[in-house]
Amino acid sequence: MPEPRTARNEERQRRAEGDASSPETRSSLLDAIRGVKWPALRPVAGALPGAHHSRLRGAAPELSEYRVYRQGDDPKRIDWRLLARSDRAYIRLAEDRSTVSTILVVDATASMAYPERSLGKWRAACDVAVGLAAVAHASRDPVGLVIVSGDGMRQLPPRTRRGIVGELARALDGTMPHGSRPLAPAMSGIRSRIRLAIVSDFLGDADDVRRRAGEVAAAGGEVHAIHIVAEEELDPPARSFLAVDPEDASLARPLVAESRAKYVERFAAWRTELAASWRAEGLSYTVARVSEPASRVVRRVAGAALGTRRAAASDVRREMR
Amino acid sequence: MSFAAPLFAWVGGALAVGVVALHLLSWRRPPALPLPTARFAPDAPVRTVSPAVRPSDLVLLAVRVLAIVLVSAALAGPTFPSRAEGLGRVIVVDRSHGLDGWASIDRLARSVYRSGDALVVFDSVAHAVRNPTLDSIVATSPTSSSAGMSAALVVAIRAANELQRGRDSVEIVIVSPFGRDALDGATASIRRLWPGTVRTMRAGTAPNDTTRARPLDVRAGPDDAVSAALALEGAAPVGSVRVVRDSTTARDTAWARQGGAVVVWPREPAPEGWPPRAMPDTAFGVTVGSLVSGSSTSPSRSATVVAPFVRRVAPPAGRVVARWDDGEPAATEIALGAGCMRSVAIVLPAAGDLGLTPAFRRFATQLAGPCTGAHPWVAAPDSVVSRVLSAGGGRDGASTGSVGTTRSDGSTARWLLAAALVALAAELFVRRGAANATA
Repeated sequence: MPEPRTARNEERQRRAEGDASSPETRSSLLDAIRGVKWPALRPVAGALPGAHHSRLRGAAPELSEYRVYRQGDDPKRIDWRLLARSDRAYIRLAEDRSTVSTILVVDATASMAYPERSLGKWRAACDVAVGLAAVAHASRDPVGLVIVSGDGMRQLPPRTRRGIVGELARALDGTMPHGSRPLAPAMSGIRSRIRLAIVSDFLGDADDVRRRAGEVAAAGGEVHAIHIVAEEELDPPARSFLAVDPEDASLARPLVAESRAKYVERFAAWRTELAASWRAEGLSYTVARVSEPASRVVRRVAGAALGTRRAAASDVRREMR
Repeated sequence: MSFAAPLFAWVGGALAVGVVALHLLSWRRPPALPLPTARFAPDAPVRTVSPAVRPSDLVLLAVRVLAIVLVSAALAGPTFPSRAEGLGRVIVVDRSHGLDGWASIDRLARSVYRSGDALVVFDSVAHAVRNPTLDSIVATSPTSSSAGMSAALVVAIRAANELQRGRDSVEIVIVSPFGRDALDGATASIRRLWPGTVRTMRAGTAPNDTTRARPLDVRAGPDDAVSAALALEGAAPVGSVRVVRDSTTARDTAWARQGGAVVVWPREPAPEGWPPRAMPDTAFGVTVGSLVSGSSTSPSRSATVVAPFVRRVAPPAGRVVARWDDGEPAATEIALGAGCMRSVAIVLPAAGDLGLTPAFRRFATQLAGPCTGAHPWVAAPDSVVSRVLSAGGGRDGASTGSVGTTRSDGSTARWLLAAALVALAAELFVRRGAANATA
């Protein structure tokens, strides 16, 4: 059930009346991630010149290496001067760089509107999404956004224009998480060779999302899962209360002193299982706590991609040799 | 305060503590808070036992504890220490015997009176003396009216009930010569209204009621109906009345002159010397009034016989002591020396058992009384006084001795039980109100 519009209006009004912390946090975030690179995990097949290694080689002016001419190579790429000096036929290899479209899928269901007063999960998700968008846009990558809330999906197609990050930020700030809707259908229309970042708490259709993400990765795409976790979820209040799922009011269970340990144990086991399942599919999985600065999360996501990319690049080189 | 059965008090206290503990550890639904990860909490009943840091429904708790305490206290039988020590008494003084009899009554009353006792003075009427002292008895002026013990008992019981509030026990002490005329049919029933002790102190000498009653002096034949009626009704003052069913003699007249009452009640329908009626007729009732001079003419002191009587003669002229139903005299009396001659012109039917009926027996006894104006005062025997006044009150008729602590204990338990019922009813309403408020 979508929440009443009044809640969203109240949130918008509150922000319009001058919640000074949000712009400052956002600007400090952008300052903190300036210079951060988010390289693609594997060479991309984009046609436009960009910052990521391309699957295409040869046309770029920057020499990478020589390789012995093989049958089937384009004779135009033979280095004739070297052939004249050494009487050996080598071809010039140059690494092309290209762009990759980045789409951010942000979960805006009711479970993200937690804690109720601070909306910490939703704000953390917005900051991480904006940070990742800014990092990607800094590499001249097209950046798009998909917001999944109880009302449906709101899509901003990938663009490279200057103000795209601001548009994404405004779209996120204008959204109040509510209702319940699965994430996987939102990923069905996404083409394969892209970079996909899913910002969610994965408390909905986590298995379907992971399955769809695996399909994207298998088709040559790149998927990053950023798991937003609130501190109150890790360590719920000590007093006894009836925990009610905001997306399913019929799911209400008492959380008392005797059941807290069991809850913590079950939640930790689920997170471990979730991380293992994503990583087993070769997908990037990052946990982002609400109390953690968004810039650190962005760096961690980008750093994980960098480490993976280096390993993948060595594999490619080894394969090409 | 102490308890007759303290076990109930202990059990009640334990129950009250248990109720308080259950109230603080009640099954309650914890407050609902949103938690997206609620699915990881163990599935358990929504209502759970939790200690109430801030106890709620304190009114309900108080009413429940109050009901338990009241019931246990009622079952335990609380006894309270006496509010006042000692025996309270209501001194009832008879002043209806004039100056001659007052000396002994006054002496007895002053000997029994103590400070704090209530004082009731009575003759034909009774009243309680306000703030009595010993001088109140001394200042009492005796009268010559008849005594009314029933009225005195009513006032005395009222005073005893007031005195009972401050005393352990209360008894009523009656100081009187206890004449026969002081006791009436209501005296015994009024006495039974008072559950405590009524002590009697007779002023003067009690009549010897152990001697055998002698029959009335009746001169009549062996089959005379009037003689049989008088014999059945009981003895009359011997030596003061002579009933003559045949003709009078000189000795009768002389006996009457000496103070006796000669009742001439001829058997013949038309005795010699009596004025005959112009025409014999039939009367259907005859009534004899009280022969006591100065006494009240209450119906209880008169007697009436309803039966067909043939009237052939009228009684000689004199003071009328009995009248037919049409107002004509049926019996007259004339003074003779110190005594009197009473003529009764009532002829009993030859057939039938009219003479054996209670109404006629009372009627004959009245007619066979002493002379009018010379009715002597007769003291009631101790056996009569004891039967009427000393029998204790209460439903079983047993004397309870004193009135005070025992009765108040029973009433306390009843009041506690009643209060417990009220508390339980209030608990029902409070619980419903709390449930509605929670809903």
